[in-house]
Amino acid sequence: MSLYNSKINFKCIIEKLPQINLLKSIGVREGMTVCIKSKQPFGGPVVIEMGKRSVAIARDVAQQILVREVQ
Amino acid sequence: MGCHTSKEADIHIEKDDLKILLMGNPNVGKSVVFSKLTGMDVMSANYTGTTVSYTKGGIRYKDKKGVLIDVPGTYSLEATSVAEEVAVDFLKEESADVVICVLDATNLERNLNFAFQIKEYNIPVVFALNLIDVARRQGVDIDVQKLERELGNPVISTVAIRNIGLGDLLEKAWEVAGNEIDVAEKVDLTEDERWQEVGRIIKEVQTVDHRHPTFLEKLGDQCLKPFPGLPIAFVVLMTALGVVVGGGKGLRAAIFLPLVHNWIVPFFRMLVSNFVTEGVIYNVLVGEYGVFVKGIEWPFALILPYVFLFYIVLSFLEDSGYLPRLAVLVDASFRRIGIQGGNIVPIIMGYGCAVPAILGTRAATTKKERIIVASLVSLAVPCAAQTGAFIALLGDHSLLLLGLVYLISFIAIVIAGILMDKFIPGQSDPMLLEIPNLLMPDGSSLFKKIWLRTKEFMLEAEVPMMMGVGFAALVAETGMLNSISGYVAPLTTGWLGLPPEATLGLMLGVIRRELAVLPLLDLNLSTLQLLVGSVVALFYIPCLSVAGVLIKEFGLKLSLAIGVSTIVLAFFIGGLINHTVTYISLLF
Repeated sequence: MSLYNSKINFKCIIEKLPQINLLKSIGVREGMTVCIKSKQPFGGPVVIEMGKRSVAIARDVAQQILVREVQ
Repeated sequence: MGCHTSKEADIHIEKDDLKILLMGNPNVGKSVVFSKLTGMDVMSANYTGTTVSYTKGGIRYKDKKGVLIDVPGTYSLEATSVAEEVAVDFLKEESADVVICVLDATNLERNLNFAFQIKEYNIPVVFALNLIDVARRQGVDIDVQKLERELGNPVISTVAIRNIGLGDLLEKAWEVAGNEIDVAEKVDLTEDERWQEVGRIIKEVQTVDHRHPTFLEKLGDQCLKPFPGLPIAFVVLMTALGVVVGGGKGLRAAIFLPLVHNWIVPFFRMLVSNFVTEGVIYNVLVGEYGVFVKGIEWPFALILPYVFLFYIVLSFLEDSGYLPRLAVLVDASFRRIGIQGGNIVPIIMGYGCAVPAILGTRAATTKKERIIVASLVSLAVPCAAQTGAFIALLGDHSLLLLGLVYLISFIAIVIAGILMDKFIPGQSDPMLLEIPNLLMPDGSSLFKKIWLRTKEFMLEAEVPMMMGVGFAALVAETGMLNSISGYVAPLTTGWLGLPPEATLGLMLGVIRRELAVLPLLDLNLSTLQLLVGSVVALFYIPCLSVAGVLIKEFGLKLSLAIGVSTIVLAFFIGGLINHTVTYISLLF
């Protein structure tokens, strides 16, 4: 399942990332537990929570991030 | 920043001076460390990428001297944006004696990853573990001694904004500067190994207590949801507008106008009449349109209140960490004009002054986005000074007309954005933006920033303004204005329907944007003429300093293209409005 389609406030583990350098250097990595905090309408970005941080990720990118839901 | 170009002051570096690079991730407080250590004022803000060009400053520690270079903050050293390229160049070419790497204690993982990348460059490093107070408040505890052992470099806990730990930091910097790096110990990890190493260290040194979210944390999260985020954004922007426009009118009427009219101008009149008798020179100096009359009234009484209040609002928004939240909300709409939401920051800055806005586009990773944002700001975003002028011209006449000018500006931004997205080749990057914590801005740094920006406005605006007014008074007094107006009459009176005196605004508008508006003040214009004059001034050529920074950032060709298209558009749209409204009114 893609990160973009995971439910808001449901924890999930990142399984696969697209090849985008900034994603890695901003600290998003495979194996991390994250959850979507909010989603913008009209193709806007999602904001995910990872640990104590929040990062906004564009829809196109979030759609390419594959996750597995835990819980 | 006021209207000025970036500070890249040349500081003389002597042979024995220690050369120190200040590096780290974005938004970890590097600029604060820099201003505390050097005593130089640099801007900081609570979002990523405030420092887009580097700044050098001299520092002293005991009897030793050094030079500190504030390198733009980056997430990695892979040269994927202008800022990263600058950072990598510094490490490779500047032959620095030591690097001070600032780490954010609230974000240790991402920061340690950067720390390991810096260590690959074989330069002695001292780490400043900054924001340690914020981390503690969040329930994060870090064992500094253990971290020091794991990294193999000195680590100093700092609270830069309160000057805590900075002395120790310098002491360590000088201590390790001479050290030879043992090449055998050099770390050279693949990316995955690096992250694993970072993960291991974090487990060793960091303990996290779970705490209930504070009010600001909850509010920060709410701002990111479409509801109530959008209503909150509306309230924030309306409040900002109210403070600037309403507060500015109040300040102008209560303080600035009486001060200028009753004290400052009479003082200069008295002074000048001691030396000069009535005549051309007297009129140029202190006549109705004299240098010491309009040259003071315009910038100080009509413009300064708005600029001052705008910078209060902007500085507050920046330091609170609200702007990245706004960026998330507007991203979907901004995509339609070819840029990502993060560009809201330079665009909002553009409502203050286009110069820092255009410099701020350096944080964007693609050229296409930089060009779109710089063009939009140059074309259709009125700066704070021009806003003040619009309010002086239109505010007393009708607020509706003022609103209409801003509506036209907004429509122009949308249309120009869509067109540029279509015709400028290349792509814009998807949004990937760290959202900082929402926080109450620190009073003293906020105050300093507002003062710095206001001071810069006064210095940078006053001289060109006085020269502009002096030039205007001269051409008016000598009758030159009439002959020039004659030449351009087909354009001004014919096509735009303005009185011949409006030529003056078009001549002065080249110097500063508000000077394209202010000469229209006492011409008794009709409502239509006011609208046309304002719209022409809005789109008209970017001012001299903006032209300068455009050339510096994008080269002559592109700047010329932006300049010419803004002028052509200004006259085209102004005339179009004039003729359409005249035609329609003939029908009824």
